[in-house]
Amino acid sequence: MASPLLAVTGEVGKDFFQERSTDTLPCQATDKLFCWDWATQNIDRYGAPTVQHVELVLISVLLGFAVAFALALLAHRHRWLQPPLLAGTGVLYTIPSLAFFFLLLPVTGRGRDTAIIALSAYTLQIIYRNTIVGLANVPASVRDSARGMGLTERQTLWKVELPLAAPEIFAGLQIATVSTVAIATLAVFAGGGGLGTLIKSDLTFKTNIILAGGIAFLIAIAFGLILLGAQRLLTPWRRARAA
Amino acid sequence: MTALLPHPLLASIEGAIEFIFTPQSSNVTGGKSVGGIEQVVELTLNQLELTLLALALSLLLALPLGLYLGHRGTGELFAVALGNVGRAIPELALIAFMAAAIGVGVLNLTIALAVLGVPPILANTFVGIHQVDRATVDAARGIGMTELEILRKVEIPLAIPTIFAGVRGATIAIVATATIAPLAGVLTLGDFIINGNVYGDDGVLAGAIVVALLALVLEFGLAGLQRLLTSKGLRLSPT
Amino acid sequence: MPGDEASQRGSSGGASAVRYAGATKRYGGSTVAAVDHLDLEVPAGEICVLVGPSGCGKTTAMRMVNRTVELSEGDVLVGERSVRERSPAQLQREIGYVIQDIGLFPHRTIAENIATVPSLLGWKKERIAARTAELLELIGLDAELADRYPAQLSGGQQQRVGVARALAADPLVMLMDEPFGAIDPINRERLQNEFLRLQAEIGKTVLFVTHDIDEAIKIGDRIAVMREGGRVAQYATPAELLMAPADGFVEDFVGADRALKRLALMRVADIDLWEAPLAYVGQPTAEVRAKLAAPGVEVPYPLLVDSERRPLGWLSERDLRAEVVPSRPDSPLGPLLDRDDVMRDALGDLLQGEAQYAAVADAEGRIVGVLSIEIISEFLASPQAKTEEQSAVERPHG
Repeated sequence: MASPLLAVTGEVGKDFFQERSTDTLPCQATDKLFCWDWATQNIDRYGAPTVQHVELVLISVLLGFAVAFALALLAHRHRWLQPPLLAGTGVLYTIPSLAFFFLLLPVTGRGRDTAIIALSAYTLQIIYRNTIVGLANVPASVRDSARGMGLTERQTLWKVELPLAAPEIFAGLQIATVSTVAIATLAVFAGGGGLGTLIKSDLTFKTNIILAGGIAFLIAIAFGLILLGAQRLLTPWRRARAA
Repeated sequence: MTALLPHPLLASIEGAIEFIFTPQSSNVTGGKSVGGIEQVVELTLNQLELTLLALALSLLLALPLGLYLGHRGTGELFAVALGNVGRAIPELALIAFMAAAIGVGVLNLTIALAVLGVPPILANTFVGIHQVDRATVDAARGIGMTELEILRKVEIPLAIPTIFAGVRGATIAIVATATIAPLAGVLTLGDFIINGNVYGDDGVLAGAIVVALLALVLEFGLAGLQRLLTSKGLRLSPT
Repeated sequence: MPGDEASQRGSSGGASAVRYAGATKRYGGSTVAAVDHLDLEVPAGEICVLVGPSGCGKTTAMRMVNRTVELSEGDVLVGERSVRERSPAQLQREIGYVIQDIGLFPHRTIAENIATVPSLLGWKKERIAARTAELLELIGLDAELADRYPAQLSGGQQQRVGVARALAADPLVMLMDEPFGAIDPINRERLQNEFLRLQAEIGKTVLFVTHDIDEAIKIGDRIAVMREGGRVAQYATPAELLMAPADGFVEDFVGADRALKRLALMRVADIDLWEAPLAYVGQPTAEVRAKLAAPGVEVPYPLLVDSERRPLGWLSERDLRAEVVPSRPDSPLGPLLDRDDVMRDALGDLLQGEAQYAAVADAEGRIVGVLSIEIISEFLASPQAKTEEQSAVERPHG
């Protein structure tokens, strides 16, 4: 089967797109950078791992967000918690995920749960720190007038402070999500599945690596853009500058 | 191995610690010993070497560019977008691709790791410099400082926290990815983790512990360096 | 009394008196009180200005009323109910609160900002919308600004929205902490005047904190001059404060230019003006000369007026050499004062116009007399001045 791209690219594309004369030779055996044919024929193999990967990321980020957000609210009220929490989440952020998987191993065993815990732990610092900073950046006069007008502490937090901190919080969420998609390729080592499984299964097959890596990369970018869009949508007052 | 304490978790830790210091006999290589302080140190140094080389290369490429763009105030979209894109690069795919397409070895791997290190340093350096209060910069210009002096004496000192945040982010990404360098032929501590069948469960845990410690030590060192370089006036902010 | 009038007006819910009874605030473990046993009574519907040097406790004292600062000892009563009776949040929803940096919510529109307390109180949407429209008109803001965000308004506009927001739920008391402090001087004067106009319409009880004695005199019905510890050095009307400062501290704080400040309390209409001989266009100059020569003439220059007795200018010797009075006078009119002008502004206009005499007209522009610097200084020195100032106390500001 001659690839249509071959016709388009001609001589230049021969290296990339032409099947060898012996088309019984599978793509894996060739030295080609990327076999379109193989890719289009085997794309369905990438379906399940992709879904797994996305699941991993979503669960981990949501869990990380829930924990980090709760901790940030706590630390916002009780200032003395801030230094230890910052240090604690910082440690979890610093430890490479791969190492984290295996530090957890004796406790949680192999499997998706271990991967999720480690991936969540990685997101904690960025979300926690951005939430704290976002809340701290709310002008004192806005807080003062809110409390002075009769909003309770809780009402002030939810109706005034958090909406105003939303851009920072979203920025943290975006960074966390994009990073998690990339790191989740390592989840295979913990037995957590994901696109990394495909990569690890054949480390020499270039087309496979490009495909799996490319899908992960695109998912990460997509999530980043979605969250950026969501942030813009939810904060209309930032777009309204002095008329 | 005799377990001094009955609890399985503590037993694992104990086993791992033993692995770090004393060579164990491996069930796979048939007689050849694995583990022990020499091997651990060797792999640690490998990882450290790789990390520092990659970090140096990243700094060399990203820092001047970030300082220049940030001072001029141009290229914001580029720098920030690059930061976002860099974060999206899947580590495993990067290493595997390196090994499969370009070649193994420390040099190639250094370049691969620099690909991960450049975006955060570039983005953060840009943002840090660019966000220095315009009024402060104008005042410096008004006093008669040259552009380079402004950068050196005003912008960089004020941007230290942000720049360092980028350097620390880069270091973490590089250390993490250097852990899986064995897949590309460079033996780092990740070997203990990835090739568990050779090193056994104790080896795996030992590898994880040492990697974690290495990362924490580097982070600690960078934090200390940052504190040294940050002027007293700036140290008041908690971030 | 202003308060009575206000409670009869339709849209305003009325106002409550505020009374401090031994109110004390001590911070931390400090033995020195920020506010030390303050006793003060503010009648309903009046503006009471708390003024004093920074750190004297005036802001702390104000905040005791809505419990944004909690009392250590003593009590504050709003309309004879202790502030402790209700929870702080409940109390605060009945008290308007305006601070210097305004603190408008950046993420809410103007309308949403104004609707804050009514929403908290559970008002229906239609009622809130109606009230918002009413308030926007009251503060002189275009209705179409209601859907903008605070960042899109100027500083002066934001400050007015802050006042509207505080008035939204028709509070019993208004607390204002240097509300015009962050505004430039030109707009500040405008806002002060607008606020007084507003107060004349709605008659709230207002506790107003400022460090600016001139603002205090302009705005306050009563002024409490405070020294540190929230101790009241003098609590009196502006006129009393200027005429009879209680001690050296008050005297220093009010300023050495007390006499000039008194001029802020009076109007041109309050004193007897001089008369200038009037000359009409086309009138024979001989008649004018006769008027000039008459005994007891106070102003030695004839004033040219039209058929409606509106001043056009001053006639010179050269003008009078003609047969009839010319339609164009030699000397321009110079400053033209309104009889309702505040005396201080009138003096300012006189000095700025470098004129010895200024024509004073009524609301229709017709001449009522002539003001000169001499008249002003004579008046200030006379015993009549004192009685005039007393009656100024009775008159409401606005």
